[in-house]
Amino acid sequence: MGEVLQFRSSASLEELTGRKARTLAELLDMIHTCTESSIFYHTFSAFLKMREVRLPYNSDFASWVYVSLNEKALAEQMMAVDFFEYNTVETLRKRLTGIIESYRSFRPAAFEKKADEPFYLHDVQRFVYLTDKFAYDLKSFRELLPTISLYSLYYHFIESRLETKLQYDDFSVWIEESLALHELAKSIRGIDIHVYTLEGLRERMLGLIDEYLEKDKTVRGVMS
Amino acid sequence: MSAPSLFDYRDVVGPDIIEELTILASHVGDRSIKMVNSTAVGGGVAEMLHRIVPLLSELGVQVEWAVIEGDEPFFEITKAFHNALQGKEQVFPEKAFKTYLRYNDMNEEAMKFDQDLIVIHDPQPAAMIRRHENRRNRWVWRCHIDLSHPNEQLWRFMAPIVERYDAAIFTSALFSPRLKIPQYRFYPAIDPLDDKNKDLDKAYVEQVFVKYGIPRDKPIVTQISRYDPWKDPVGVVKAFKMARKYVDCRLLLVGDKAADDPESDTILAQVKAEAGDHPDIHTLLFSPSIATEINAFQRGSDIILQKSLREGFALTVSEALWKSRPVVGGAVGGIPVQIIDGYTGLLAHTVEGAGLAIRSLLNQPEFARQIGENGRCRVKDEFLITKNLKRYLLLLLALDKPQGGTIFLNG
Repeated sequence: MGEVLQFRSSASLEELTGRKARTLAELLDMIHTCTESSIFYHTFSAFLKMREVRLPYNSDFASWVYVSLNEKALAEQMMAVDFFEYNTVETLRKRLTGIIESYRSFRPAAFEKKADEPFYLHDVQRFVYLTDKFAYDLKSFRELLPTISLYSLYYHFIESRLETKLQYDDFSVWIEESLALHELAKSIRGIDIHVYTLEGLRERMLGLIDEYLEKDKTVRGVMS
Repeated sequence: MSAPSLFDYRDVVGPDIIEELTILASHVGDRSIKMVNSTAVGGGVAEMLHRIVPLLSELGVQVEWAVIEGDEPFFEITKAFHNALQGKEQVFPEKAFKTYLRYNDMNEEAMKFDQDLIVIHDPQPAAMIRRHENRRNRWVWRCHIDLSHPNEQLWRFMAPIVERYDAAIFTSALFSPRLKIPQYRFYPAIDPLDDKNKDLDKAYVEQVFVKYGIPRDKPIVTQISRYDPWKDPVGVVKAFKMARKYVDCRLLLVGDKAADDPESDTILAQVKAEAGDHPDIHTLLFSPSIATEINAFQRGSDIILQKSLREGFALTVSEALWKSRPVVGGAVGGIPVQIIDGYTGLLAHTVEGAGLAIRSLLNQPEFARQIGENGRCRVKDEFLITKNLKRYLLLLLALDKPQGGTIFLNG
């Protein structure tokens, strides 16, 4: 038997940095120089902002460029970034600043615009803690998944990558390494989180586990 | 009826949220907190403390709430400070500052500050920190007002006081000034179990509408706000009249009259003049209103408006969203934080925009239902009292840690 999974969760205390951007140049400078936790917070904020309702954007940066600067082409490019291709915040930072810099040659006029509503840079103090929920095998994991908080789901599926610097979420890593269920781990890694809310993500994972268990039951039935 | 316990919130926010609060509280251990403000009754801060303090205590946190004392001259000065910090032009004589400091010193002498965390609410007691230069505990200033454009003279006096704190808390980035100390963001929150927000019987809702002679024979569009120019009740009537050409509905304006507010009669007269003798426009003025009746008006309405031209955070929006009402809000102050346009409500920038939004919602009931439901989720995620409990627990946990980065509570 592999390692027991003790679920963790996380919480954040939002900090106001006092920094504002009204133009693309200011936003670019902000993204270049802000902390990693600021980048992470503003990039993945949509997941926590509406945990059960799908929003039209996946990051605060893209949302501000879309709504306040009305630069839809740039907003689309920023929204299309596959965050999980970048396993460190620094590489994600470079990708975002690269997109904005390239846009300067595409539409220099966009850099002349000044938004009425500035972009307010936030930072976060993060807290990570253990919960009293343990999974020993796939069955207990399946039973617990609907009961964990969305903060816990967010931590294991998204935020823990800040610590592990891994491309993959905690769950699929545990399912692969501790339960040796490679096929199931692969399908969980195949979930496109950009089209899900956290609640939707939970349902999708439950669906994949149920499909796996059903298939497994059939195979066992045939074999016996 | 006794105040709701933490357990009562389980059904509202989910057991997982309460479980995590208890885990965080277990990490807080025996750390203690003292809240200080200027009044035990009346006003949003006292209302919030009446709920937060017993719930923190139930979570095992040692919490104390103290109220400063003062007489009329002091509170006249602090009221003027309050308005000037929110931008009102006024010149203060040196005497006003001296009186303010004297009363702060008197209160400081009468209190003990042994707790790990001292949270001072708003400007009235803020200067008590002056006598705690060599403190061992942490002091945080919780500012509930909009400090984005403070009166310059007053801010020159207040800023050095505020910067003696270890940190400040503001409601939103919109309302915070530049300061040399760390700032946290605590959104304000509603209590889903208080009279203003608790579930009501349909029969009671109907009874309230009957009591005030408002027929529910057609959709009702309602704005519940003071009769104040910044809430734009005249604009609401204009927007309603534009929408009314296309869709049959009623408008209900409900306002409270504060004892020291002579302006509301004037504005109400303007509203009535704009409404003329339109049979579908109803105005009510209370002094004061009854919380459960306001709750009933919100629940019994098809659309809630908050067409403000200038706002603080406007928690009335969260109150309506919590009841799954589709809301049309002015795109000012804290309203866009609560209303994600087209998803958790509709934002309007003009009378015409508000008129269109009313038509859009009344003609598309499924869309209206969906954004009402989305709005409830938004409030559940961010603007309930349980979220503020969590923020205070995190603040206690952040006390002795360097700012930034990640704190692993289990080592």
